[in-house]
Amino acid sequence: MKNKHEGWGWMLAVDFFFAGMGGGMLVIAGIVELFIGEGRISLVGNLLGPVFMCIGCIFLVFELGRPFQSWRVFMNPKAILTVGAWIMSIAIVVGLAYASFGLNPAWFGMEKLFWQDWNGVRKVLSVVCLVTGLVVATYPGVLLSRHKCRPFWVGPGMITLFLLSSLVTGVAAQFLSGLVLPPVAVPGVMQALPALAGGLLFFQLIIWIGYIWVKRTGGTEAEAASAQRWIDGDISASFKSIVLLLGTLVPLILLLQSSLVAQAVGALLVLVGGVSIRCLVVRAGSDRTWLPGEQKYKNRLPFGDEAFLKAWNK
Amino acid sequence: MARYAMVIDTRRCIGCHSCTVACKVHNELPVDMIYNSVTTVGPTGIYPDLHMYNVPTLCMHCANAPCVDACPTGASQKREDGVVFIEDKKCVGCQACIMACPYGARVQNHATGAAQKCDFCKDRLDVGKKPHCVNTCHQKARIFGDLDDETSEVYKLVHGENSARLLGELNTEPYVFYIY
Amino acid sequence: MSKNIDLEQEGIEVKKSACYFCHQNCGVLAYVKDGKVLDIEGDPEFPTNQGGLCCRGNIALDHLDHPARINYPLKRVGKRGEGKWEQIPWDQAIQEIGVKISKIRDEFGAEAVATAGGTQRTDDWARRRFMNQFGSPNGFHNSHLCWIPTFMVETAIYGWCPFELDMGNSRCLVLWGQNPGAAGMPEMHHISALQAKGMKVIVIDPRFSETAAKADLWLPLRPGSDLALALAWINVIIYDGLFDQEFVANSCEGFGELADHVEEFTPEWAAPLTWLTPEQIREGAYMYAMNKPGNIQWGTSVDQIGKPAGSTMHARAILRAITGNLDVPGADLLTGPSPDFITDEEMEANDQLSELQKTKQIGSERFKLVTWPGYSRIAEETRKVWGKAPTAEWMCEAHPPSVFRAILTEKPYPVKALLVNATNPINSYGETKLVMEALQAVDFMVTCDYWMTPTASLSDYVLPVAGALERPTITSTYGCSDFLLASQRAIQPMYERRNDYNFWRDLGMAVGQKDQWPWETVEDAYYHRIAPLGYDVSSYDEFVDRYRFHFPEREYSKYERQGFATPSGKVELYSTVLKDLGYPPLPPYIGPTENEVDHPVLAKEFPLVLTTGGGFMPYHHSEHFQIKDLRFLKHEPYMDINPATAAELSIEEGDWVWIETKRGRIKQKANLTQGIHPRVVYTQRGWWYPEREINMPELGGCLESNANILTSSADEDCDPYSGAWANRGLLCKVYKVEASDLKGEN
Ligand SMILES: Nc1nc2c(c(=O)[nH]1)N[C@H]1C(S)=C(S)[C@@H](COP(=O)(O)OP(=O)(O)OC[C@H]3O[C@@H](n4cnc5c(=O)[nH]c(N)nc54)[C@H](O)[C@@H]3O)O[C@H]1N2
Ligand SMILES: Nc1nc2c(c(=O)[nH]1)N[C@H]1C(S)=C(S)[C@@H](COP(=O)(O)OP(=O)(O)OC[C@H]3O[C@@H](n4cnc5c(=O)[nH]c(N)nc54)[C@H](O)[C@@H]3O)O[C@H]1N2
Ligand code: SF4
Ligand code: SF4
Ligand code: SF4
Ligand code: SF4
Ligand code: SF4
Ligand SMILES: [Mo]
Repeated sequence: MKNKHEGWGWMLAVDFFFAGMGGGMLVIAGIVELFIGEGRISLVGNLLGPVFMCIGCIFLVFELGRPFQSWRVFMNPKAILTVGAWIMSIAIVVGLAYASFGLNPAWFGMEKLFWQDWNGVRKVLSVVCLVTGLVVATYPGVLLSRHKCRPFWVGPGMITLFLLSSLVTGVAAQFLSGLVLPPVAVPGVMQALPALAGGLLFFQLIIWIGYIWVKRTGGTEAEAASAQRWIDGDISASFKSIVLLLGTLVPLILLLQSSLVAQAVGALLVLVGGVSIRCLVVRAGSDRTWLPGEQKYKNRLPFGDEAFLKAWNK
Repeated sequence: MARYAMVIDTRRCIGCHSCTVACKVHNELPVDMIYNSVTTVGPTGIYPDLHMYNVPTLCMHCANAPCVDACPTGASQKREDGVVFIEDKKCVGCQACIMACPYGARVQNHATGAAQKCDFCKDRLDVGKKPHCVNTCHQKARIFGDLDDETSEVYKLVHGENSARLLGELNTEPYVFYIY
Repeated sequence: MSKNIDLEQEGIEVKKSACYFCHQNCGVLAYVKDGKVLDIEGDPEFPTNQGGLCCRGNIALDHLDHPARINYPLKRVGKRGEGKWEQIPWDQAIQEIGVKISKIRDEFGAEAVATAGGTQRTDDWARRRFMNQFGSPNGFHNSHLCWIPTFMVETAIYGWCPFELDMGNSRCLVLWGQNPGAAGMPEMHHISALQAKGMKVIVIDPRFSETAAKADLWLPLRPGSDLALALAWINVIIYDGLFDQEFVANSCEGFGELADHVEEFTPEWAAPLTWLTPEQIREGAYMYAMNKPGNIQWGTSVDQIGKPAGSTMHARAILRAITGNLDVPGADLLTGPSPDFITDEEMEANDQLSELQKTKQIGSERFKLVTWPGYSRIAEETRKVWGKAPTAEWMCEAHPPSVFRAILTEKPYPVKALLVNATNPINSYGETKLVMEALQAVDFMVTCDYWMTPTASLSDYVLPVAGALERPTITSTYGCSDFLLASQRAIQPMYERRNDYNFWRDLGMAVGQKDQWPWETVEDAYYHRIAPLGYDVSSYDEFVDRYRFHFPEREYSKYERQGFATPSGKVELYSTVLKDLGYPPLPPYIGPTENEVDHPVLAKEFPLVLTTGGGFMPYHHSEHFQIKDLRFLKHEPYMDINPATAAELSIEEGDWVWIETKRGRIKQKANLTQGIHPRVVYTQRGWWYPEREINMPELGGCLESNANILTSSADEDCDPYSGAWANRGLLCKVYKVEASDLKGEN
């Protein structure tokens, strides 16, 4: 009960994960398309990017107190949530449209799909994919970083962290997708992905350590206290064992192996790390800059399972 | 147009929680929802040289309200007289406002899914009455009025000595003031 | 309740009702339509609360129709405490109870029927009226803990007891063991306002209470050591020449004897006893004596310190007198009883109880002050001056612990029936184990209450009582004030609830008191009481509608005209009344009930000093634990302990701890606070858990966190004057509850 009525829960974190991963996949699709060559990336990956974003949306909708009215979130252009909703919608539509260029007409019993020749459109779509994907990948970080009263989130650091994590999960997901249905012309791209993921992962590790260190030492008292939860507080065990060890160090090693199996397992672990870190970040948002005496007050309120709460119902 | 404000005199407040209960009862809040908690700071110091004071809170009706900016549906709004309120039927319960509010003023009603908070008892204001929490306070520690009216008690208190706002550094410009 | 209720709608009537969740009786406006209360709010025109209502006042509608309320008369069908009840008609209940107590009277004498009450909550004069005619002197309340001994000591010394403060003119207020910041809210705001204008406030309290936090001087004395402090103040005021020479010379008797008596009681003497420094003691004495006029507020603490209580009350009364702070503007006022309206005492029919029955009152041979011997003596004096006597149903009572013991031992004679009305003795009387045994042992028990309390659940009959919104209320400070505040009922009692008055009236009629209850309704009785005031009204309700209050014109220094209501007509610092009753005429020093000086062996095993109780928001004694909106704010019991002591005992914030005295142990959670001396602990009072089974053996968890398991009502621990027992200033130890014990019993 103490924090029951206040704030976002795991479903939003899962939304962030899927959306970010999807965004990351679009970014990669766009880059490969524009700078490496057409069709050099997995069709499954290209399809899954927007599909993941849709899954993210579903989680988001169910995080809402009134899911069946979710359409209302498009209504206030001044709100960052509205902006996010629009961009994500565009990204999904564009992502799917772009992916459709990779569909095999034979699956539909046709010789060709009429739009697959429209090269100009394809290029434009891939640019939009790149841009919206980047926005979607960065967006949760932007959203959180604007919360002035949430000491762990506030500041530009969150943006970098989310972008990185979206990219690394996007790369890992593209890699895994590639294993399922390899792109037509493989050389270069598939082999590069594990190394890319490994590099991003390493970079992410450094940034995370830096982030917590800066929060711990550089900011306000509230920020320091919020960082302390990661160092030896309630968040630290999950952070260290799941995010750092299982989601970063182990995959880092596995991704650098030559065995495809090891790489695949590594990529899967990257996803585990990605979803965990988001859950922890959202959880860390329960820290506010507390008002005087507020924490003691809250600590003494019921949890919600006390017998008196269930008694005497009319 | 009035600009409503509340002044809380912490020198008078004894931390009795009557304002909390009056608000809950009259606004028919579920048992576990509170709009206006009263926290206690202290006793600080070492026995027997001690200090203690209470901090009654509520929505600060910020002039620069992050909750309104954060609301994707437009359910969170500000009236011209400064009252920040939620139009229930527009709220989807996304909790963006809850996360954005630096004062913990908002809570989600689990029965309806919507966010809720103190609305300065606007229905009462509109018929010339004062908020429930103000009326119920034996200590007269909660003073309500129009800050645009230079003769009002709130005006005098806010512009007198020892007046402060909570978390002023966030630039939310609260319209709840504290006298200490 | 009001959010969705249109109070402007047609057909709504506004009733001027009252809150009775404590005896402040704040004025309430009730919005009523079709016999239902739609909403309530504080009455802005009521002089005390001025529109305010505390937590409890606000939940009145929740209380009015709470699912756990008792709404029909219940008769036990299973074993005592088993929780099996049959719903029966009122008239049958009254008939059967009447038959049963008549049989007991025939067999054992009327005195074998006793009644137990709590703090003033209802028309207790009706209970006395019933008992007097029934022939039993054994009515009692736990008012022994609550002002009554103070009232009688002070009346013995200067002829009435001040409770009406003239605070607007005061320059200094001593809150002696009183905490209006949590226990007397409507009063507290006056204090804050006057303090802002320069009035000094001294708080004498071992705890850094809500009120102490606002004080000019906080004197955190050792619990129960109030007497040493009072004596030292007298010493300073006399020997530093701070006393009011004129008043003492003209209006006091026995000053010389007093001066000799207190010569040794210097601040240096008191310091080690009170754990204050001599400077703190002097500072307080100077502040009070030099800022005149001043008040010393009654606080219930001194009534609850046991052995030294009576002497402390005497000493405190002397302080008022020698500083001349009596009945002058800004000081403590001696209003006397109302000469104009019919007082509670006049409704009690005390002349109906025979002299023989009076002598049988349990405890009256040992504790004479608030039993017939002292009461008669003091009433004789007040009648001479005021023409009236204090209310007997408070100031003249059987000694409760002795009645409980009589039930168990049949000494001095058997007590077979107990009628419990407006009290929950298991939680509120001292030494719960004794009370429990007595309640289980008594042959016949009836309880009138709102709820199935632990006490009610041990009864043979439980009767549903109407609350404040369902009955009129006259507020006149235990029937002792010269003013009255009147409130009306908002609605007729819901379900089959009845007023307490009607219970006593019906029962009286059932046992042959036919002609003695001419007033059918409470309003009839109240109209009878206010009629002599001479307002042009034809009913009580009309009086409330049109006038609501009666405040006589205030007359200061009445003693100049009529003297004090004592044998000499003066303030008897050296009290002849106390002397006549066999008590010391000047206040002797008596150590705290249990203390490290007189009881070194005990202090070894129980090294900490305990004080229990002190009102805290939002509860009232053992009430309101069922109201979820209140319970949510404080759902578990807390005890205060200094962090240094806690560290020694490896106790952390929020740990469940045992608090144990010689008499038993309870558990509460630890609140680590600097606001208490390292050697003192404070426990909350009243706690039980109504959400649990309220049958034996669980009994609503009433033995788990109930502070009265710890308190003592042994004869030798009681105040010899009044018999008030000891809740504050006891020895205890504290230790952590082991994890394995957390769900277990004690
Ligand atoms: N350890 C310790 N013990 C204490 C104290 C302390 O400080 N420490 N304080 C003492 C003091 S000051 C007092 S006054 C007593 C209080 O002691 P009590 O007056 O016995 O208080 P409660 O335990 O609340 O019990 C009152 C019961 O009366 C019922 N009731 C309320 N109003 C009415 C009514 O109008 N009619 C009827 N029939 N029933 C009603 C309530 O539901 C409740 O069950 O406790 C004393 N006990
Ligand atoms: N919230 C609430 N309000 C109430 C009540 C309630 O139960 N709850 N009960 C009502 C009733 S019946 C009464 S009688 C009044 C009582 O109200 P008060 O007269 O104010 O008495 P308490 O609140 O019992 O205790 C006052 C203070 O005495 C302190 N104290 C403890 N031991 C000692 C001691 O040995 N010496 C001294 N000097 N001080 C000591 C306590 O720390 C406490 O802060 O409150 C009434 N108001
Ligand atoms: S009702 Fe008044 S005194 Fe009581 S907690 Fe609220 S603001 Fe403070
Ligand atoms: S206190 Fe919170 S809810 Fe109220 S206006 Fe300010 S930001 Fe919004
Ligand atoms: S919870 Fe409701 S009021 Fe709050 S931001 Fe979301 S839609 Fe707006
Ligand atoms: S102004 Fe009204 S809604 Fe706001 S806290 Fe006070 S009573 Fe509650
Ligand atoms: S319980 Fe509260 S509202 Fe009711 S009379 Fe007492 S102080 Fe007033
Ligand atoms: Mo009391």
